[in-house]
Amino acid sequence: MENIGTEILHYYDHFVVPFTVGVIVLFTVVIYKYVRWFVKLPGADKHLVRKGLFTRSTLGACVEVVSESLLHRKIFKVNPKLGYMHMSLAFGWFLLIAVGWVEASMHLTGIVPLHAHVFYKFFADPNADYGVSGQVLANVMDLLLLFVLSGVSLAWFKRMRSRAMGMKRATKHTAGDRIALFALWFIFPVRLLAESATSGLKGMESFLTGNIGHWMVSVFGVYNIEQFSGVMWWTYSVLLAVFFVSMPFSRYMHIFTEIPLIFLRRYRLRSTERHKTYDHFQIEACSRCGICIDPCQLQADAGITNVQSVYFLRDRRYHKLSGAVAENCFMCGRCETKCPVGIELNTLRLNSRTKMFDVPADGRYAYVRGMDTSKGEGKVGFFAGCMTLLNPKTLRAMEAIFKAAGEDVWWADKDGGVCCGRPLKLAGEVSAAAKMMEFNKSLFEKHNITTLVTSCPICLRVFREEYDLKGIEILHHSQYILRLMEQGRLSMEESDGRLFTYHDPCELGRGSGIYDEPRAVINAVGRLAEVSQNREEAFCCGSGLANISIDDRGQNKISAALADRFAETGAEEVVTACPLCKKAIARNTPLPVADIAEIVSARLGGRQQA
Amino acid sequence: MDFGFSINRPRAVDLDKNDLSVSRKALMEMPEWQACIGCGGCTATCTAGNLTQFNFRKVHTLVRRGDYQGAYEEMNKCMLCGKCRLVCPRGINTRGVVMMIKRLLSEY
Amino acid sequence: MTKKVIIIGGGPAGMQTAASLLDLGIKPVIIEKSDRIGGKLNDWHQLFPTFTPAHEVLAKLKGSMKDARVITGTAVESIGKDGVSLSDGSTMEADAVVVASGFNLFRAELKEELGYTIYDNVYTTVDIEHMLNDGKVAMKDGRTPQRIAFLHCVGSRDEKVNQRHCSKVCCVTGVKQAMELKAMFPQSEVYNFYMDIRMFGPGYEEMYRRAQEEFNIHFVRGRISEASETIDRRVQIKAEDTLIGRPLKMTVDMLILIVGMTAGESNRRFAETKGVELQPSGFVAPADSFTLNTCSGVPNIFYAGTVTAPKNLGESINEGVAAAQQVARYLNRR
Repeated sequence: MENIGTEILHYYDHFVVPFTVGVIVLFTVVIYKYVRWFVKLPGADKHLVRKGLFTRSTLGACVEVVSESLLHRKIFKVNPKLGYMHMSLAFGWFLLIAVGWVEASMHLTGIVPLHAHVFYKFFADPNADYGVSGQVLANVMDLLLLFVLSGVSLAWFKRMRSRAMGMKRATKHTAGDRIALFALWFIFPVRLLAESATSGLKGMESFLTGNIGHWMVSVFGVYNIEQFSGVMWWTYSVLLAVFFVSMPFSRYMHIFTEIPLIFLRRYRLRSTERHKTYDHFQIEACSRCGICIDPCQLQADAGITNVQSVYFLRDRRYHKLSGAVAENCFMCGRCETKCPVGIELNTLRLNSRTKMFDVPADGRYAYVRGMDTSKGEGKVGFFAGCMTLLNPKTLRAMEAIFKAAGEDVWWADKDGGVCCGRPLKLAGEVSAAAKMMEFNKSLFEKHNITTLVTSCPICLRVFREEYDLKGIEILHHSQYILRLMEQGRLSMEESDGRLFTYHDPCELGRGSGIYDEPRAVINAVGRLAEVSQNREEAFCCGSGLANISIDDRGQNKISAALADRFAETGAEEVVTACPLCKKAIARNTPLPVADIAEIVSARLGGRQQA
Repeated sequence: MDFGFSINRPRAVDLDKNDLSVSRKALMEMPEWQACIGCGGCTATCTAGNLTQFNFRKVHTLVRRGDYQGAYEEMNKCMLCGKCRLVCPRGINTRGVVMMIKRLLSEY
Repeated sequence: MTKKVIIIGGGPAGMQTAASLLDLGIKPVIIEKSDRIGGKLNDWHQLFPTFTPAHEVLAKLKGSMKDARVITGTAVESIGKDGVSLSDGSTMEADAVVVASGFNLFRAELKEELGYTIYDNVYTTVDIEHMLNDGKVAMKDGRTPQRIAFLHCVGSRDEKVNQRHCSKVCCVTGVKQAMELKAMFPQSEVYNFYMDIRMFGPGYEEMYRRAQEEFNIHFVRGRISEASETIDRRVQIKAEDTLIGRPLKMTVDMLILIVGMTAGESNRRFAETKGVELQPSGFVAPADSFTLNTCSGVPNIFYAGTVTAPKNLGESINEGVAAAQQVARYLNRR
């Protein structure tokens, strides 16, 4: 006993206390959070974890942890400078710890407590000769420190000039973040000074800390540097403690949280329209890197700067989320495709709204019961959706196309029907939405259709994702038209070579993954000139139903910003495949704007009339 | 008649007695709401109004006049489909109006 | 030395400017991009509120400016410091330029939900003037309309097509045409759907009252939100009768959209190159809207007519007189 005590005391100095306390607090809080979240997961999610644990998912997760949490591959892809910054800090620090552990384990004798690994230089024996391996390790550690310091200096630079880092806007941070950030900025410079001073005093050789240390001692003298080194080791330990204690309460929680998130995601856990504790893993895995800010058109075009995903997640995490922030988002998904952590930003936004605004819907919408305004009969059903009813050209075109193909059609809502439910759902009223869905579902089943075609991507999405329509194939009209073309059921005039450009609707493209079918249809009737940012990167038209709070002026600014992009392509006509997009684009674009069905019906052989 | 809010109500809109505090608060939050000129486009196009007696223009105008009774229940008939917003010549965020009224008046 | 004044646009405002300049001893040149002068007055049948045939007013204007030089089929590409560049590539010197380039008509097809160019029997007020000029107003298939609906404020006071302003003359135009059609088809029912009826000019309100009392025209306060076509090619419209507070549906033989005035498309380029102010509506802003209505702020550029705002015919012609006066004052001072 006595021996152990002496050995530990051998590696003890008062300055290690703050560090040790910090580490204990950090791990206590982190483990408490994770265990709590995990225990409270729904049974189905826990089952998924159990099922996935001994499969390749675990292996894949390990690989992903290395490539994302340490190397930050995705940030590299979006922004190489930012990627380097994150990698040098994360991977560099990790290696400092790992190699430092090896160094301390090799060179320190007896029982080596945790802090002795971290403060190795302080406790190293200056008289021992560690040979070539010792020299190599010392220089490697210096190199790693330099690597981390390069990241720190980039971080300083980013704060001062975010544009230079390829970001138009950097995140505005909370007080807790600032404390942690302050500590993080100074941890490594102070470590450099502390290690250099000790190296100088102990005469240890290495290219960075060794040389700086010798220089310091020769310039300021042994006494001054002794005093200085004491202060620096204390400062280093206190900074580490400050960082560790603030970590679980600040954005730096992401450093650890991304790891369990990667595993859980590999086991197929997903957030849903209702909150569950899995959401916390996602929310606290946000590093607030701010990559989501630049793609947001609310910020770029409408001057709305407090609602972006980074702020939404921050507000939600600290229980400060206001309805106004939760609601002011088109859920266009542009930020989600860029998020380096892969957080389900749209779903989290959605379930925040559910939590705030969903009310029991018992007794609501009793008036729809038994209603049926549908017309016609056929195996193919067409659901125009509320918005298409305000775009009669699209309806006309679909009539002509169905007729040309000789298709018998059941028209679900030509004379007005019941909304698909997605608008209510997007507003958080999921219980009310369920009523709409229930009604339409039984209507579809009653009429025995086998195919359901809709010209509205909003309806399409809810039909595909939520309706659970067994035995009914659900198609967007662009898919349906392409199919008719491929089956040779539409006799078309030869392509007239007209130059079109195409606008990807958010709900159709990013929302439903339908990019190619509309393009194939366009290429069949004319030529296609793409806008500079399309497909996954396509812009939102500014009319998305998910934004409940933006005013008309804001919507119009976003739509107006699109006009030039279409003109730049040299196209004669803009084509889109969503009734809302069509109206929003037509409002500000001098070019003619058409739904995909219109350009097809205009070129039907023999000019079939509806 | 499921026009719950019209039963047993005095004929006059009494601006001396009506409590305008909620409507004032709502108009502060959403000044564009005051821009309504009552053209009725919203009500004409209304998906829910097509199926029941829900009259968005009337209900929100009553709320602006401090007449809140039944407004919450009426607004609950809305399907939030957004057609009204597309036709509103004044560019009012009509869906936002629905949601705001529901939020402020669930107690009335 | 004779002073040269170029008038851009040969509509009523430009014609009157030319006439008044001639009165003041100045010889102007009108540059008109279409192949005849008279502007949109050529398309009009009768003028509100007096039902004066449009060609009579046009003849008077033409008579008073017959000594002016007119170049048709030529557009002004840009206004320079001492002259203008023309679409034929030439330039023309001028001591002063009067911009009387007028307005554009709102393209009703932009309100897709109203069915113009989609349904057979949806028309604009301009189509009706053409029909009246041709002496035959009828449905697409030639039938006589029994039920006619006019919709006010199409492309005016509508944020959704970025036309926030009131076009001022459409209310009275719609009422005038309602009376003309009712006179032509006494058996028919005519409905005017409006948001507000703005009868701002002399005799307008009186005409509105005659439309109600003598012509039995029905006025419904409600904006038509959408139209659809029936199997027999009639038009079904949806509105709210806001004075009753209930939705209204009806089927009509003709739906006539009373289209508003939008700013001339050349205004923006003109404003950008000359540094003059453009109003949010797209019409150019006069130097002062009380005392300098026909001045631009650029010393040798003047305005007349609807380039600055929607106006009725009388106001446009008066601005021609005023612009000529300002031009003369400017030339004398130089």
